[in-house]
Amino acid sequence: MARVNLKVSVSGVRGTVGDALTPSLMAGFATAFGEYVGGGRVIVGRDTRPSGPMYERAVVAGLLSVGCQPVLVGVVPTPTVQMMVDEYKANGGIIITASHNPAEWNALKLVGASGIFLNHAEAAELLDIYNQPERNYVREEEYRNLRTVENAFDVQKKRIFAQIDRKVIQGAKLKVAIDCCNGAGAPYSRAFLEELGCEVVALFEETDGIFRRAPEPVAENISSLCKTVVGEKCDIGFAQDPDADRIVVVGADGVPVGEQYSVVLAAEHVLSKTPGPVVVNVQTTKALGDVAAKYGCEAHFTPVGEINVTSKMLEIGAVVGGEGGSGGVIFPAVHPCRDSFTGMALILEMMAMRKQSLEQILEGIPRYVSAGAKVPCLPVQAVEAIRTLTAKYADAHPITIDGLRLDWKDAWVLIRASNTEPIVRVFAEALDQKRVDALVAQFTAEIGD
Amino acid sequence: MQPLRIGIAGLRGQVATALTPGLAMDFASALGTYLDGGTVVVGRDTRISSGMLHNAAISAWLSCGCDVVDAGICSSPELHFMVPHLKADAGLLIGAGHHPKGWNALIPIASDGAAFTKVELQELLDIYHARRFDTRPWNEIGAERPAPSKVWKAYLDHLCTQLDTEAIAAANLSMVADFCDGSGGAIGEKFAERVGVKMIAINSKPSGILPHDPEPRPRSAVQVCSVLEPLKADIGFVFNSDMSRTSIITSSGETLSEEYTVALVADQFLSKGWKLVTNWCTTKTLDAVAERHGAQIHRTKVGEAYIVDRMLELGAELAGDGSGSVAFGGHLPGYDSLMVMGVLLEAMAKKGATSAELAANLPRHCIVKKKIRTSSSHAYTLLHALRGHFPDAEVNDADGLRFDWPDGWVHLRASTTEPIIRMIVEWTTREQAEEMALQVRGLLERMVV
Repeated sequence: MARVNLKVSVSGVRGTVGDALTPSLMAGFATAFGEYVGGGRVIVGRDTRPSGPMYERAVVAGLLSVGCQPVLVGVVPTPTVQMMVDEYKANGGIIITASHNPAEWNALKLVGASGIFLNHAEAAELLDIYNQPERNYVREEEYRNLRTVENAFDVQKKRIFAQIDRKVIQGAKLKVAIDCCNGAGAPYSRAFLEELGCEVVALFEETDGIFRRAPEPVAENISSLCKTVVGEKCDIGFAQDPDADRIVVVGADGVPVGEQYSVVLAAEHVLSKTPGPVVVNVQTTKALGDVAAKYGCEAHFTPVGEINVTSKMLEIGAVVGGEGGSGGVIFPAVHPCRDSFTGMALILEMMAMRKQSLEQILEGIPRYVSAGAKVPCLPVQAVEAIRTLTAKYADAHPITIDGLRLDWKDAWVLIRASNTEPIVRVFAEALDQKRVDALVAQFTAEIGD
Repeated sequence: MQPLRIGIAGLRGQVATALTPGLAMDFASALGTYLDGGTVVVGRDTRISSGMLHNAAISAWLSCGCDVVDAGICSSPELHFMVPHLKADAGLLIGAGHHPKGWNALIPIASDGAAFTKVELQELLDIYHARRFDTRPWNEIGAERPAPSKVWKAYLDHLCTQLDTEAIAAANLSMVADFCDGSGGAIGEKFAERVGVKMIAINSKPSGILPHDPEPRPRSAVQVCSVLEPLKADIGFVFNSDMSRTSIITSSGETLSEEYTVALVADQFLSKGWKLVTNWCTTKTLDAVAERHGAQIHRTKVGEAYIVDRMLELGAELAGDGSGSVAFGGHLPGYDSLMVMGVLLEAMAKKGATSAELAANLPRHCIVKKKIRTSSSHAYTLLHALRGHFPDAEVNDADGLRFDWPDGWVHLRASTTEPIIRMIVEWTTREQAEEMALQVRGLLERMVV
């Protein structure tokens, strides 16, 4: 079977530049999106990738041709576009970003009305429109003018500042290192933190779209930040991904706290002030559940995918949520989307209010160690294995909405079949290394049977 | 009938039904692939759909690895000037010129500033039809930049070297100019100021909403006529929306047929031994004017590309046709309505004559122009069938069909820009011309092919 480096699916359209991801294809997708949202305003933003301006032009041409009014907001974080859709009562939004993927990739993230990503069913409807050969292009008299909005990030900043106590943070005079990954956060992060009264050391602030570190904000990619935090004697370090929706924290000792703990820290703070339900995906650390329990709050799990978390949060009126595995913090009082800036503000506010260092705060939260393995397994067998294990471990609170998650008092394990390869991934966390290694070995063996 | 024409005059069509973002991108990608990198200058008129086409074309070029200089809204003579001035490899004019609302066009310009020749265009169209376009990886895509902000001034400087601006300024002239709310308003006002002529501009907002039929025909001149007389202006002009076609209203309030624009200019401009290029369907008046000045007249097929190409090939001083278009060999390889204005103003100033007196000098005939709607393929069949119908006339088929009698002629041609047959009849009296036009139209309509 011939393969192209292109993926058009319910997650949108994604591919590598110069290959099948042509401007024409992007315009076609934007055209279908414009039709799907019924014309009207569509906010268009992008990250710093060199292919961004090219695809922005393609998206604009596509939107104009079906009678939409594109509102260009330029290089902004993904959450900025989501909040702009809400603020401008737009019918939708498009973000030109391949998120944490390397520079040769690009993609479209698609936002529906009120600034929330299209859910699975909506994305399927859009895809159905895209797949049809006919487009409802409008005649020239129905064309609308292109608009440009400068300072769209101010909308996001205002929303965040309305929900946190800036004075308290300013009073704490924290020294903060920020690694912007040469991404969409770069033009804004330093000024944002300075407005919170922090002394700022910023890394990777160039906005030419050449990522000077690997773009996923995981421990192995943020060693420069870790060194800077220690060398500059910072109180805390933050790392963003190229579209600035994810945030990862580094302690004053220069050790990454781990992407699992961004949502845990946010929850620790929010629940201590305003207890309420918490929503996370099944890939999230047990520490989140521990924190929720500490404040007498309930933690709910959803399948992986930001829109799943967001939908559940809105449904049950969650006060905080996110995604452990990817450093996603969602604070719906600002907007129900992952936002690195909201995440930073919440964690800084907690440090300032409690007059505690990050290390002191973390002392009150269980620290899990993790391990994982890939087990070769055909999809049919994977389904069978998950079914068997669910029955076998009925007393370990099995959650089967997305693979199988089992929870014990001191550990948890997640078993998920891959969508792209004939493998099953086993991921576990426990309070000590011995226990976690044993769990991974045990389940690897059980799936192998 | 697909309202789209691809040919010597570029790609022209109706927005939505034919001109879509995908089609514009394919055409621009063909140009980018043809150039194999290099720099393209893009200019657009004010039509509302031009913004969509502009975005689509730029996106396609960036993908082909071409750098783009964006001239924004600019008139066609400015673009003809800019391509060689900025040492670019090609240009693209996006604009509908004389086409009715709802239409638009993409017109490729070669590195010398002239429209693509037949040979260049054929090569471009081969790439377009094959649809195998160059697409570059993320680190080889092109970059875009705006045109230098004072490039219009360089154009005006160049234009003024062709004119006796002191004589014009000293004559204290006034004029009324109708820019059809196209791309000429801004440069037109700067030109008038530069040559010291008082200009009353109407329809000079770049709104893109056509105030009247954009073909500069006598019926489009009503607004100019209504202010010219009360203001006692010395001359009036009606331009199409990209400053490539002109018609003239004299100081006595007479609207000259656009057929006479080139003749009136030639009568002021030609010298003994000079060369003049026109097509097979331009008024006999032009022959008489050429003869009067001892200039040679050369004929070629209809279309700016053919006429300008022939002008350059022969080193001719002047070229133009009955649509109101005039190019000046020593000035620019393209039609320029501003130069038309300048030459007539200079003649009035230096001869101390009114525009009515200049016009009175032209030997007149009566021209009747008709459009007959038909598909392009059908048009050719009809013309073939008509060939033997007038045994007493001299027949010429260098471009369409021309029948010549001692007192008049009939020219029929399938338009290269619209799905119509254009008929032009010229006779000594209006009655005879009308009668002949009626007769030919009847023949065509009764013809079963």
